Amino acid sequence: MEREVLETDVLIVGAGPAGLACAIRLAELTKNPDGITVIEKGREVGAHLLSGAVMDPRGIRELFPSEPIPALDTPVGREGVYFFTRGGQWKFPVEPPPLRNHGNYVVSLNRLARWLNERLEALGVQVFTGTAAMECLMEGGRVAGVRTDDKGRDREGKAKANFQPGADIRAKVTIFAEGVRGSVAKQLIARQRLDAESNPATYAVGVKEIWEIRPGRLDPGTVYHTMGYPLASDQYGGGWIYGLPGNLVSLGLVAGLDYRDPRFDPHNAFQQYKLHPFVRGILEGGKLIKYGAKAVPEGGWFAMPRLWSDGALLAGDTGGFLNGLRLKGIHLAIKSGMLAAETAREALEARDFSAARLARFGDKVNASWIREELWKVRNGHQAFEHGLWPAFFHLGAQMLTGGRGVRDRYPSEAGHARLLRLAELPAEEPVKIAADGKLTFDKVTDVYHSSTHHEEDQPTHLVIADTDICNTRCAAEYGNPCRFFCPAAVYEMEETRAGRRLKLNPSNCVHCKTCDIMDPYQIITWVAPEGGGGPSYEGM
Amino acid sequence: MSVLVILEQQGGVWHKMSWEALAAGVELARGLGRPVAAAVAGADLDSLAAELAGYRVERVLSVDHPLLAEYSPDGFTAALGQMIRARQPFLVVLPHTYQVREFAPKLAASLDRALVPDVVGCRVEGGEAVFVRQLFQGKMNADVAVAGEPPYFVSVQAGAFRADRLERGSAPAPVEKPAIALEAAEIRTRPLERFQEAKRTVDLAAAEIIVAVGRGIKEPENIPLAEKLAQALGGELGASRPICDNGWLPMERQIGSSGQTVSPKLYVAVGISGAIQHLVGMKGSRTVVAINKDANAPIFEVADYGIVGNLFEVVPALTEEVLKARG
Repeated sequence: MEREVLETDVLIVGAGPAGLACAIRLAELTKNPDGITVIEKGREVGAHLLSGAVMDPRGIRELFPSEPIPALDTPVGREGVYFFTRGGQWKFPVEPPPLRNHGNYVVSLNRLARWLNERLEALGVQVFTGTAAMECLMEGGRVAGVRTDDKGRDREGKAKANFQPGADIRAKVTIFAEGVRGSVAKQLIARQRLDAESNPATYAVGVKEIWEIRPGRLDPGTVYHTMGYPLASDQYGGGWIYGLPGNLVSLGLVAGLDYRDPRFDPHNAFQQYKLHPFVRGILEGGKLIKYGAKAVPEGGWFAMPRLWSDGALLAGDTGGFLNGLRLKGIHLAIKSGMLAAETAREALEARDFSAARLARFGDKVNASWIREELWKVRNGHQAFEHGLWPAFFHLGAQMLTGGRGVRDRYPSEAGHARLLRLAELPAEEPVKIAADGKLTFDKVTDVYHSSTHHEEDQPTHLVIADTDICNTRCAAEYGNPCRFFCPAAVYEMEETRAGRRLKLNPSNCVHCKTCDIMDPYQIITWVAPEGGGGPSYEGM
Repeated sequence: MSVLVILEQQGGVWHKMSWEALAAGVELARGLGRPVAAAVAGADLDSLAAELAGYRVERVLSVDHPLLAEYSPDGFTAALGQMIRARQPFLVVLPHTYQVREFAPKLAASLDRALVPDVVGCRVEGGEAVFVRQLFQGKMNADVAVAGEPPYFVSVQAGAFRADRLERGSAPAPVEKPAIALEAAEIRTRPLERFQEAKRTVDLAAAEIIVAVGRGIKEPENIPLAEKLAQALGGELGASRPICDNGWLPMERQIGSSGQTVSPKLYVAVGISGAIQHLVGMKGSRTVVAINKDANAPIFEVADYGIVGNLFEVVPALTEEVLKARG
């Protein structure tokens, strides 16, 4: 098969805040837009981006020190942190320091990315949208670029009439800014053991809706964070409610992907959340506008993989640049992208793309405010190991000791390893909310509101190494948690004459990556579907 | 200033959506109190232009040039742009075909005018044309009025306007051939061989009666049950996503947001619960009959007639009655 081959200096995989900031900085530094290639699997820039989001403007202001930034139009006003019980709540008398947001802004990450893309276009760089990276091109152990997705294959993988093979994009430096649990970065990290010295990566999943509410219910800029109900006290996570302009509300629930009960369902928990009197009081009489879900890298400093390799760098969520305690990553993504750009530029000047040279990215990160910020919370997520109440103790101790707490490096384990078997659990099943179509919705209806579309006739992009495990072993041991943790109804167990068997609905997938992270046997591999497929987030 | 409808042809054969665009143009022209003109672009158009002149239009503009024999976005944009500049229509109506999706934005932008694509309806309010566009995959409709200078461009969605009510004129309309200056060098693309992506054996969009099956049918062996009802009614068989996803019926029979959008006169939903993804593909149907054992299934919210019951009893009985009634 003949493939198109494109040569470029620097290839950036993913047009999120890290990738776009990287491309912008690089174009400014090299003044050579032709040497920069950016690819993005979404149909448009921003289509696959989802965040809360309250943004610390530090990153974007460094990227654009001398011009007004339209995304910064909703400064955080009223703030509150609440602890939810089943039917009530109490307010923290003072906000815990990581959750103080004075000086930050409520933003839509889509809109921010679209504006960044305009700035990038003005510098002469055009993002190739609808183009997914599938695998690294390796040359003698060094990353030499990526191969992009084939278009026009049918379910069996056979070429259809519109078949077009993916291209090989060859680059001197490839910067992976694929977002959380990047599917190509995952291959690279495993192959080169870039995580050999890291804690196991840990994650959470955020389930989000945007609502239009009755006027006057929540002022733009209002920022509420909640802990407790509907999550159990041994679960990591919490809720958010942010007021947006135009009577819109962003709300969602983040649940640590290190919960114990395999029957836990983050989407269902979010429905419970909306029924809590505090939340219901804001939403009632309003209507659902948008839905989405996305995993969040929560592991912190010690879980970050090595960020460089021969010919490659990792930035943004792919590199784990996120402050879990502050619930913030956009500013770190932007800064990491900028530093990756500076590293790549120096490598171009020195014509040296070896790991030794690209290791300077690590030096730059260490010398920047990224380390200053993340080091202080390096044990933050691990503090929740034994639940919420011990966490308050550990977080207090860590705050007094500059992040150390009671030991230098708290241990951590991969979230899926913490799942209990059904036999170890009480028989009583978690509460299942029946959708009322007004305040609560089933997954399929919510997926509709993510505007997700995929070409139906294509190979499945959820590659399961052995479905026998699903149908027999997992059914008995864990009760097929994929049915529950997937917030988009991709996984179903179907009764057939041959017994219960796994049925996949890949075209529902909102690209959140939860299955790749949480499946207890680690046999699900999320690969990119045909480019352009996926959600079409707007205002998210 | 007239309402100008640009029809689409390929190799001397009309695209059937052309007539729907003409119907939209006639409707708008009547409301706006303006004459309607019809245009077609291509090469050797004499017989097509003569056919067009048979309809009740003020005039026919035949944009005829050898370099337009093969469609190209550059060629069509340049030629139609010249014609529109010279004629100054008030409104330009196009069918929302693949070809139009490619060249119309370019054409409108080259004239620095607005394009309202993929409209499903229109009306005239206070002398102004108001267009209806679907938002959020058909969940909402938006009224769109154009600001700025005419000509305005609008393309109409397949099936949104009825071509069967077009009237023929008493005498043929005059056919004019605007002068077009076009150089081969202006056309930067060269078409390769044509190919058909997939052969379709069924056109659900054109079906007047559809019987659609969903998960309630349980096994592929039960599908003939619904098929018999479809045959008795003289309709086509459709399906919701799980059926096609399982390979029980070909994907071209899938109705919904990831399949076909249909608007038949009669839609019989058999064992379909009515997820929103399915509803958006069939809610334009004139009469909806739903058969489902779950009285709370959302399909009943859009159904005109609902039968709560076991489809394995209801469908054969219904088929029998239909056959009896038809004699």
